Amino acid sequence: MTTVEGRPETQRTALRLEGITKRFGTTLALDSVSMEVAEGEVRALLGRNGAGKSTLISVVTGLLTPEEGTLAFPAGEEDGLRSDQRVACVYQKSTLVPYLTAAENIVLDAYPKNRAGLVDWKAAREKARSLLDEWGAEDIVDALVEDLEPLQRKIVEVCRALGTGARILLLDEPTAGLDGDATRTLFHRMSELTRQGITIIYVSHYLEEVFEVCRTVTIVRDGRVVMTDSLEGLRVPDLVDAMVGEEAAARESQVPALEPADPDDAPILSVSRLGIDDVVTDFSVEIRPGECVGLVGLEGSGLFEAARAIAGLDRYDQGAISVRGRPVPRGDVMRAIRAGIGFLPEDRHASGFVPEMANEENATISVLNRLTSRIGLIRPSARRAVYADLSSAWEIKQSSFDQYTKELSGGNQQKVALARAFASKPDVLVLANPTAGVDVSAKASIVESIAARVASDRTACLIVSTDESEFEPCSRVLIMYRGRLIGELEAPWTEHVLAAAVQGDLGESQGAFENPETTES
Amino acid sequence: MSYSALTKTVETVPAAPKPVSRWRQILRDLALIPVIVIVFIVGAVFVPNFATPNNIVSNILSVSAVLGVAVVAQSIVLIGGYFDLSAQSVIGLAPMLMVWLYTTDGGVGVVSNPWLAILSALVLGAIVGLVNGLLVGRLGMNAFIVTLAMLILLQGFTLGISGGQTFTDLPPAVAALGFANVLGIPVDVLILVLVVAIAAVFMRFAPTGRRIYAMGGNKEAARAAGINTLRMTIGLFIFSGVVAAFAGLMLSARIAAVTSSQGNNIIFTVFAAAVIGGISLDGGKGTIIGAATGVLLLGMIQNILVLSAVPSFWIDATYGAIILGALLIGSPQVRGMFSKLIPARMRR
Repeated sequence: MTTVEGRPETQRTALRLEGITKRFGTTLALDSVSMEVAEGEVRALLGRNGAGKSTLISVVTGLLTPEEGTLAFPAGEEDGLRSDQRVACVYQKSTLVPYLTAAENIVLDAYPKNRAGLVDWKAAREKARSLLDEWGAEDIVDALVEDLEPLQRKIVEVCRALGTGARILLLDEPTAGLDGDATRTLFHRMSELTRQGITIIYVSHYLEEVFEVCRTVTIVRDGRVVMTDSLEGLRVPDLVDAMVGEEAAARESQVPALEPADPDDAPILSVSRLGIDDVVTDFSVEIRPGECVGLVGLEGSGLFEAARAIAGLDRYDQGAISVRGRPVPRGDVMRAIRAGIGFLPEDRHASGFVPEMANEENATISVLNRLTSRIGLIRPSARRAVYADLSSAWEIKQSSFDQYTKELSGGNQQKVALARAFASKPDVLVLANPTAGVDVSAKASIVESIAARVASDRTACLIVSTDESEFEPCSRVLIMYRGRLIGELEAPWTEHVLAAAVQGDLGESQGAFENPETTES
Repeated sequence: MSYSALTKTVETVPAAPKPVSRWRQILRDLALIPVIVIVFIVGAVFVPNFATPNNIVSNILSVSAVLGVAVVAQSIVLIGGYFDLSAQSVIGLAPMLMVWLYTTDGGVGVVSNPWLAILSALVLGAIVGLVNGLLVGRLGMNAFIVTLAMLILLQGFTLGISGGQTFTDLPPAVAALGFANVLGIPVDVLILVLVVAIAAVFMRFAPTGRRIYAMGGNKEAARAAGINTLRMTIGLFIFSGVVAAFAGLMLSARIAAVTSSQGNNIIFTVFAAAVIGGISLDGGKGTIIGAATGVLLLGMIQNILVLSAVPSFWIDATYGAIILGALLIGSPQVRGMFSKLIPARMRR
């Protein structure tokens, strides 16, 4: 661990972690992590999914107790707060109560009381007003949170977090859902906070932002701190290097990519100039038989919205989608399935399967009409036969076909959700996060199965993911950045290149699109 | 392509939870059968005239017929993830509208064709269902509060158009339903059996039936799988309204009259029977056969209470206590507590 240079000697340390180790079962989530943040500093905390970032945040906020190591707050020892009150946390997901006013949300965990033990509303509003005042937002004191703008809600969250007296503020993806102006305002306010001696730990996937607001950075990888440095003189690729690591950066995919499509083949899926509100702009892709194309981007870049629109789950405003030259009706999943599109939703628990339903039924629920007898009832033997094929193709481990899907392991649940997408024998597959939240061996098995089926059935496959490691079968991958396609990479690529590309940084590579419309930004 | 040649990974399945096999499912459907048998034996031993064929068919089953039909419809709505409290008011208003349109004796008598009058009752049920369905499905309002408001509104209508009177001038077809029988079995009992059988097959084997389960079990997953949840929601409420109207006609036929308080309070018993029969209020769970056993159990208990010496003013309280008891017995937590009391070796 290198020390941060240029720090004035007089500055006190706000937060000090020494040798923090945390295990979950046999997994070492944090391995002797040490970190020091000075008072009034804005420190970026970066790491890829699974690097240990969330565990570290939980330790700092007091949600988790480490097995080894110490956590200290030297600068605030005299203020009499419990250690779990010293760090105020604002998470990406709102924790506000929408139907209460901004003031009540701010005092929610410590209502001022009068002598009768009832809420002292006057004091509550005064307290909220003085906190909001620092943000120039005292006029929203009595507004209902549900009526507020995204930035105002974020401000209310920060005020509530600081209302308990904490001097360290942890911001987790604070700009998610904010537009450019709101983001700038937030950054401006953050710098004012630091001038008052508030220390900020800043977590974001958007590395560009980090350079705008942070002075120093700590990067975790595999449960270890791999870099702590001043951001001065560093560039986005340097951070990506540290986050990905040399091994992963050098490693190419283990499953060979499918052959690039024959350019003479007519495309099966054609998406042209798809537009959804201000979320997705001008999204076009053509996929040919037996071709697997990736679509990568950061959370919130619009990639899942594009996937849902192709699947008929969401409506879109502009553009057209066609399968084998025939237009696909918009906003109707069943007609998209009939048109030949199979879809795996990005979150299997939210929409991939019905928990208390047999695997056999979950996998076949989209194709029941093909399994009926003349009087319109399902033929159980036909359903069983269809599922038997799916189950063996995906190697689903289950005690019986009747077993409830909720009883399976995560990997096998995901295979049931995938089987559902494949059940209609689609010409086009849109697979969002196909291996999210499954263990390593299941991941390998899923990726192989997808590649094998796409190759043998000559389907057109679009893999949509925020995880750079999910594109192994793809012969090319499209990069989505803030709602637009900014480029395309051809296999082979490294995770490092993808990790930089989703930051909007295509480097020297030839894949960047020359799009006159994007040059304005 | 050489993917099959690549490493075949052996997955470590985490400690597998107990699988639910088809047989366990069937056993769960019939979980109430032992209780029904016990209640039957108790009734047969202690209550004179209980275990006679005539009592069983023309009292227990016939009295349960209206309840049973209503429970089947409500169960399907519950499986789909919704409530329809307004069913109770449709049971009252549909026959009231019919008789009000049909009879000149206290009604407006504008519809002299009895079949048209009957049709108007069913159409009313459909319209009420459509409104409920649009409010819940299209506008995303809460089914509980929408159908509660509808219940209050329609019950008010029933009282309003009837002026509190009782009508006995029913269309002949409805009147006949009340005393017709086939081979000595009352027609309403046959209707009940038929409705249960059709609904059970439909919910188990018809694609739409399975889609209703999927919607109630996870609406987003159902939508992503291509199920048109809006259309199905509206369809469920229309179905519920029409069946409730039909149940109202059956009830009027039974008592050979339409009263202004017809159907009042039946919704509580409908929910009690469905839940005792294993239908979950969370949606997606339970079966029609299970719900039917719930109806049978409540019908037997009510019959026993009527036949036995329980003072009539205390019947409701006793009935309520028994429903509460049945819910306790059916609760997995309570069963878990009891199974802890039994030594492990005896449980096998």
